[in-house]
This record gives sequence, C-alpha cells and structure tokens, in this order.
Amino acid sequence: MTEAVFRETTAQPLTRSVQLSHLSLELGHLYMEDFEAGPERLREHFAEVRLWVEAARASATRRSGGKRARISTCFLIDDYFTRFSTPAELVPLVLKEAEKAGLVIDYLARESGCAVADRIEIAESVMHRLVESPPPGSDGSRPPVGQTGWLANGRRTPAAGRAALGAVKGWQPPQETAARNHSVFMDVELFSEQDGRRLWSCPFLAAVWQLARLGLLRHLGEPVLTPQPWNGEDFPHDWDRLPPLLQLTPQAAAFSAYRTCTLMPNRFLAVEDAVRLILDQVQVDAGALAQVAERSAREGLAVPEAVAQRATYVFYEEPVNALSAEGT
Amino acid sequence: MPTAPGPTARPVLACGEVRTCLLPSFQALDGRAAAQLLRLRADEQVRVSERPNLYALSPETLTGVDCRLPTSNGAKVRAVGTVAARAALTEGRLLQSTAYFSAPAAGPDLRRPWGHYLVRPGVVEPFGRLPEQPTAEGVLRGPGRGELDLGAIAESLLTRLLRHPLLDRKVPFKSRPTRLRWVAHRIPEGEPAELTRFTLAEDGLRTVRLRLPADTPVAAAAGLCEDLALHDWLLTTVVHMLDSSRLAAADGPAAVLALRPAVDHLLHLWLPHARVDRSLVHLWEELEREPGFSRQWRNLVQRIRDQLAVQAIPLLHQALSTS
Repeated sequence: MTEAVFRETTAQPLTRSVQLSHLSLELGHLYMEDFEAGPERLREHFAEVRLWVEAARASATRRSGGKRARISTCFLIDDYFTRFSTPAELVPLVLKEAEKAGLVIDYLARESGCAVADRIEIAESVMHRLVESPPPGSDGSRPPVGQTGWLANGRRTPAAGRAALGAVKGWQPPQETAARNHSVFMDVELFSEQDGRRLWSCPFLAAVWQLARLGLLRHLGEPVLTPQPWNGEDFPHDWDRLPPLLQLTPQAAAFSAYRTCTLMPNRFLAVEDAVRLILDQVQVDAGALAQVAERSAREGLAVPEAVAQRATYVFYEEPVNALSAEGT
Repeated sequence: MPTAPGPTARPVLACGEVRTCLLPSFQALDGRAAAQLLRLRADEQVRVSERPNLYALSPETLTGVDCRLPTSNGAKVRAVGTVAARAALTEGRLLQSTAYFSAPAAGPDLRRPWGHYLVRPGVVEPFGRLPEQPTAEGVLRGPGRGELDLGAIAESLLTRLLRHPLLDRKVPFKSRPTRLRWVAHRIPEGEPAELTRFTLAEDGLRTVRLRLPADTPVAAAAGLCEDLALHDWLLTTVVHMLDSSRLAAADGPAAVLALRPAVDHLLHLWLPHARVDRSLVHLWEELEREPGFSRQWRNLVQRIRDQLAVQAIPLLHQALSTS
C-alpha cells in the first residue's frame, strides 16, 4: 500500500515509547508505622528482602536465557495517606540501611506521585480507563451497574428489598464472574470523598504504580511519572519539593520494565489482590501496550498478554518486632 | 493485531451500528470546541483534521458484554468481549456515534479472565463456533431481548455527548436522526473489497453488507460506514426539506424560509469518501453508479438554487419598481 502524501499531525497522534528493562524490582513500601518502629525495622526488612532479591535476579537471568538481565530497583515512600518526617531526614536513612544490606535503590518514588504528578491527574485518568468486567447477561443495553467508587470481580448481593406484601426477600449471595465452582467475591473501594476532596485508596494508587512500572501510562501520548535525575544534592525538607520519581543511580537500568516483582510483608496480600482485580479491568493505552508487546517479543521475552499477569510478588513473613513495635 | 499475540483467531465477521444526527447547537462548532466535545478521556487525544473538511474523531471507549449474539435462525450463542464505540463530528455540524465489534470463527467454551478480553479491544469471542451468516442477518435485523445490542451502545454514547455543556440545544432546523447497521464478512487478503447491499428500510434505518479482505482494519470499515451514513443522512434530510417547501410553495417567503437552512448548514457538507481508507474508496463508486448518490445530490442542490432564484424574482421586481 502506498503512503499518503498529505499528513496532519493533529489527525494522527503518536504514542511516545519509554525505555524498558526486563524487570522492575520493588524493594519495599514504607509507611509511617514502619518508620515509627525505628531503623531496626528497616534493617530487618532489607535483610529479609536481600534473599528474595537474589532469587528474583536469578529468575530474571534464567528467563533471559542466561544473559545479564536489565533490572532496576525501586522503593516507594507513603507521603499520601500520612505525612511523616521529611525527605532530608528519611531518605538518607533508607539509603543507608539498604546499603548496609548490600542493596542499591535505583529509583525512589512518592506515593502521592501516583495520584498527581507534574500537574497531571494520573489516578483520575486511570479511573476513566476502567472497563468493568461484565457479569453474564450484560448485552450493552444498560450501563454497567457500577457502585460509584467501587470495583468488584462479579455480581454483588442484590440490595435488600421488600416484596409486595412486605415480606423481606431471602438473602442472595454475591457471585464471582470467573468463579470455578465456588465464588471468591471481592469488592474494592477505589476512593472516598472527604471534605469534597477525593482520597484515592491504597490499592488504586498501587495499581497506578504497577502501570507506571510496566511502562503503560501515557498522557496525550507522552509518558508520565518519568524519573528526574538526582545530582547528589541534599534532599529537601518538604515532601512536595521532592520529585515524584527520583533516579538515584545514574547508570541504573530503565525504570519501567516488561515485568514487575514486588517484595513485601504478607500483610499486604489483600491489598495486592485488590491491585490485580483493578489491573484486570483497566484498558491501557493501546499504543503503549503494542510497544511493550513488540519489544519484549523481539528480545525473546514476550510478556503475558493480560497486564495483571505481568506483576509478580514475594510476600515474606513480617519481622518479629513489627506488630509489637510499641511494646518493645 | 499487534497487541494480541494470543490464540484468538482472525475475525471472520465485523458488525456495527452508526447513529447520525444534527448537532443541537445553533452555531457549528469550530475545531477546538469539537475536540472539547469529543474528549471522552482526559489522557487521550481527539483526532482533529482540517483538510479537506473539518472533522474530529473521539478516542474509542469500550463496553464489556457477556450475552447471546443476535441470530436470524434462533441459534443461541453466548459471546464475551468488548464492543468499541467512538464519535465523530463533521464540519462542527453532523454528529455520529458508532458501536462495533468483530468476532473470530470460534472461541473457547469457558469465559477467560477479563484481562484477556481487554487486550483485544472491540473483539467479541463466541462460545464454540460462530454461526456467521445467521449472526450477520441477526445484527442487521436488530437484537432480540437479552441479545447484544449495538444500537443501545451507540445511543448511550450519543446521549452522553448531547448532554455536554458546550451545546445550547438549539437546532437551526428540524431533522431526524438515522441509524445504519452494517456487517462485513471477511474474504482472503488480496481479493477486492465489495459492497454487496445497501438497503433503505423504513424508520430511518439503513443496512449495509460488505465483504472485506482480512487485512482491512475494522476501524476502516467503521469509517466507510460512517461516511455512507453521513451522506445518506444529507440526502434524506434535504429531500425531506424540499418536500416541506413544496407544500409551502404557494407562499413565496415560506418556501425561502424552509430551504434557507439547507444553504446555510448543509450544502457544503457533501464530500464523499473524504477520509475513507484508500482500499475502500472504490465501494463508493458502486453507489455512484447505482443509485447515484452524488447525482441525486447535485439534482437536489440545483432544485434548491432554482427555487430560491424563482422566489427572488418578485423581490427584484419590487426593488426595481420602488427605486
């Protein structure tokens, strides 16, 4: 077929590609309670994580046929749900404890960057990309029976109603759409409203975080949440002045990757299950999806088709002092 | 499809429905306003083109479905997947919404995880074998209760757009929306595309049957059908306008009033296959031969101009006699 002579750029928008590693390895997720438990808690965490990092590296190398795999590491700090400490105080502490365990953190991210970064409402955009999994009987004639701010993996229990004579109808169970014999029904809160302000839920921001690590986020065709270089200067005293995603290691492999592996304590299992439920119902940018599929296939590392399948996890046992931190 | 390296077979059938209507806005929208109207998602660009006419195309939205396919022979085939929908605005005046999907010859007997369907936007997979002919006929006839309803999806997108605060809901003249349902059977690559039937049914319903080579994108088929629907709407609307003006012909100024909107808003919109995929342009030529869409249009335009000229003569006389 011959190429068209005449072109209009506004009529043929492009999707810019991002660099991609083989694996994005998350070394941890820091919440206020972890910080309050003191540096020993971080030390315990990194000592445990270290073992799994080696396993993840070995797995990535095996997958790439014994060749050196491009792996980048990242660490996420919560500055969205609770603000604690300052980057100037906290970041050097995290880096020091990681280093003691023999780990290098290539990229540091702030959780609020998954909500808004560079004035782009990323979480909002991802929410508009949700395409709910239709329960059987969805023929397109009715909009999906979405519960505003919630996302489920099946059909909810019908609201309790009264029949004509006032008799209360019997309870009906919810139903997981992809159930095998029996349902594991899950309903995930995506956000809440507080004083007219939207508060995104932890699983929803974590789903955005996964999409960023998988190189699948775009705004008007341009990548978002892109790493800013760090020149070794002091970290600021205000979280808002820290870039949402900071590249700490200049020679690090690319932030985004074909696959992600997240290492976290097992109390996060439910949250991450919710993340998978969300990822399974997001229609990601088709251009970005095609770029990742094409390049991973060319490297002989074809990604799983479904986006949720590209994220793997290691859930490890919580350090002993974790739950009794206050008591010790 | 580059995003779907999986085992889904190539589609053998594509189906869609287009709704065409006059934008309820007193002024036609310019390019910027058109882009604002069609911005269905904040993070995705509206395609805007200014040559050879002003045209804006929204991003695609998806609707998940899990239901029976409409079939003409009563066969009950469950299908799961996503229906794509998009909207277009031509010259800031004619608004169209299209819902469409394509289906492979066969699918698995088990519903897969939803993520599987989301990486195949606009594909609906049957459980087991797809009864191709009965499904095509079923789609053209329209869905029964509980069957996949393309019209409802197109309509719901249209309704969403018509509620946009940009629109003042003042129409410059009365007109009726039209519906065009289409099906495209797949033929081997290299064979020429064919338009095998264009039917004008009552109630503003039109149906189109196509045969398209396997390498023609479904979006190109949707684009062709939107173009056909737009020009068919123009013919339908202007014919109707001339009919009403004939009723009013006894009264000169009334006839002018009835025809004036055609001149102001419609005559410049006729531009067949302005953006139709090159491999499909020749399908238009068949319609030009028979029934002769453009021939009829030229004829209508001539009649409107003659009518207005005739009505202008007394005014001219009046002007000359009073000067």
